[in-house]
Amino acid sequence: MSAEKTAAEIVQAYDGRPIRVMEVCGTHTHAIFEHGIRNMLPDNIQLISGPGCPVCVTETGFIDEAVWLALEKNVTITTFGDLVRIPGTEMSLAGARAKGAKIRIVYSPLDAVNYASEHPETNVVFLSVGFETTVPAACLAVKRAMELGIRNFSLLTANKTMDRAYRVLKGSADAFLYPGHVSAVTGMKIYEELKNEGISGVVCGFTAGEILTALAMIVKKIGSGEPFAENAYTRVVTEEGMPIGRKLIEEIMEPCEAAWRGIGVIEGSGLKLREKYAACDARLVYDMPEIQGRPNPACRCGDVLMGRIKPYECPLFGKVCTTEHPVGACMVSSEGTCSAYYKYNI
Amino acid sequence: MCVGLPAKVVQMKNGTAIVDATGARREISTELLEDVEPGDYVMVHAGIAIAKITADDQTETQELMQGLMS
Amino acid sequence: MDEFITLAHGSGGRKTSELIGSMFKKYFENDYLTADDAAVLPAPTGKIAMSTDGFIVSPYEFPGGNVGKLSICGTVNDLACMGAKPLYLTCAFVIEEGFPVNKLEEIVAAMAKTAREAGICIVAGDTKVAGKGQVDGLFITTTGVGQIVEGVETSGAFARPGDKIIVTGDVGRHGTTILLARDEYGIEANVTSDCAPLWGTVESMIGVTKDLHVIRDATRGGVGTVLYEIAEESRVGIRLERSAIPVQPAVSGVCGMLGLEPLYLACEGRLVIFAPADKADELVSVLRKGKYSADAAVIGEVTEDMPGRVRVRTAIGSETLLPPPGGELLPRIC
Repeated sequence: MSAEKTAAEIVQAYDGRPIRVMEVCGTHTHAIFEHGIRNMLPDNIQLISGPGCPVCVTETGFIDEAVWLALEKNVTITTFGDLVRIPGTEMSLAGARAKGAKIRIVYSPLDAVNYASEHPETNVVFLSVGFETTVPAACLAVKRAMELGIRNFSLLTANKTMDRAYRVLKGSADAFLYPGHVSAVTGMKIYEELKNEGISGVVCGFTAGEILTALAMIVKKIGSGEPFAENAYTRVVTEEGMPIGRKLIEEIMEPCEAAWRGIGVIEGSGLKLREKYAACDARLVYDMPEIQGRPNPACRCGDVLMGRIKPYECPLFGKVCTTEHPVGACMVSSEGTCSAYYKYNI
Repeated sequence: MCVGLPAKVVQMKNGTAIVDATGARREISTELLEDVEPGDYVMVHAGIAIAKITADDQTETQELMQGLMS
Repeated sequence: MDEFITLAHGSGGRKTSELIGSMFKKYFENDYLTADDAAVLPAPTGKIAMSTDGFIVSPYEFPGGNVGKLSICGTVNDLACMGAKPLYLTCAFVIEEGFPVNKLEEIVAAMAKTAREAGICIVAGDTKVAGKGQVDGLFITTTGVGQIVEGVETSGAFARPGDKIIVTGDVGRHGTTILLARDEYGIEANVTSDCAPLWGTVESMIGVTKDLHVIRDATRGGVGTVLYEIAEESRVGIRLERSAIPVQPAVSGVCGMLGLEPLYLACEGRLVIFAPADKADELVSVLRKGKYSADAAVIGEVTEDMPGRVRVRTAIGSETLLPPPGGELLPRIC
């Protein structure tokens, strides 16, 4: 019998107390739907989707800042595709584009540097969102821009790290599916620390077999009542992770407080450019005033992100907030929990 | 939170590599990993290699499950 | 002949005649194309199908074709989907001032070649030149008329529970080709557009059976959009088999990098057919002998339950829903 099938059988045979497993990574949310894994689980295993989609936890004010740069300062915004449709207080970047803003979708922050280098007459800002996985690429972009003396490139940062978020989320779930690609950078040490604080989880990959294996591990371990930290994504995630990448982050960025949409401010959970790299900090370069976003007060993205409610329990879900006309970020991002629930009609 | 794609390194030059994912090729940075060579598999995210990997998730699953069952 | 199109080419004067003579008349030549105000045509018997479509594509040439070829295929395929043999076609050009004449000639030549292959006569046309910046290169609108083969009656509302769903080849090629041709993401792959005129393909199926319930060409929204349209119009459910959907590996690779679903990438030479289950195997085997349908496959079936929904059986045997079509296709990276 295939290992994948064995894993599925272990998960399906689980007859212990009801458990809640939180996948914190948006790509997991996506993969779990795509592989139809939720339908395979017994009733006593509940999968809840946590705040691991960088787009979903990005505050309305960040979009407002980007719109301000694009429309007031006439900069060319370079961004990952998902951010384009996120509603700001007045408009999304797609809305700004319709008003003449220059918005360019890129695959990599390094492409944004190249674009800046090829268009010296254009001021280019990269919208730097993302967790530990994505931060090294953004830092590399800053390093390259500095080395090549490219002066028309800067970052608007909203980067975040996950370790403190787990501590805030403690109690929301019995075990976490830890994000595979974040773990590729961080390594396993942080999960040992979390284990010592009573937080359990398994590092999980993205194929159907990998997700089922991680769930099987949780099912096997949870009975003992002891906290655990396991790696079910060994072909990618090593003990030490990516030391060169972490060193680069350390050199270029420093921790700061960060506002998570719906969750609030988590001390030390954000990353911003160090003073030495002020020339690449869009907020400083363009002398940006403080911009406070005003999200729709009825939007309950925060409760959805914390696993407190299911998307359909939000009063806006499916009525005024749809994938065609999203109100909250969780509906916009294709990784967003609401979007996934809406599209798959669960 | 992070879409990653396993890809094979086909060419290396000063910290950049051309990688191939079933026929789709792109230049990426391998600066943050040590000892990447043509023929290696890497996990690619946002234009950089974030880990050297083995391409075969079947073997991984098998080994993990064997460990779990023993 | 000039090197670039100027406003004078659209003024109706000598330059216009010169362009018509050296270009459109030369390439499109047939008995019905005259200098008169309208084409005079023999009326077909029975029912006719008629369709019109505008073609704007950036870039206007791409591996596997150009906007000219596309403008013929699009309309011919729309007619073919109704079981109509393509007969006559008209075309209207809006050309941006400064457009290279040699490129226009390539486009016109591709139209003529494709029309000949599809067996359709280009019987009338119009040319306008718009000032620089008013259009992006070249827009072509084509209108076609075809004669419906007697006994064939297709409609998006005719899918029935039990029908098998056939796609005539691998999906997402045209969309991928255009995405790569725009070179916005630094990705290279050996992918060519599937753009092709498909009357021959439909004719070969009619040879097997006239009882074809739905034929639709998957264009802009890809095969996924067509499936949701049919599920809605026929009020039926659809169940796909993920492993049966043909996708070229390079297309999968590009989609993997950008987080895109190949079922939602455009095709320009693929039909989705809903046919009675007992005819499906024969249809596929005939299609596989065809020039543009060598990779035809049954990808799923129609169900009575879950009307309006498209389900997918995954590789691990579980079931999930195909996400319904969204708006603009945006690469998903983080």
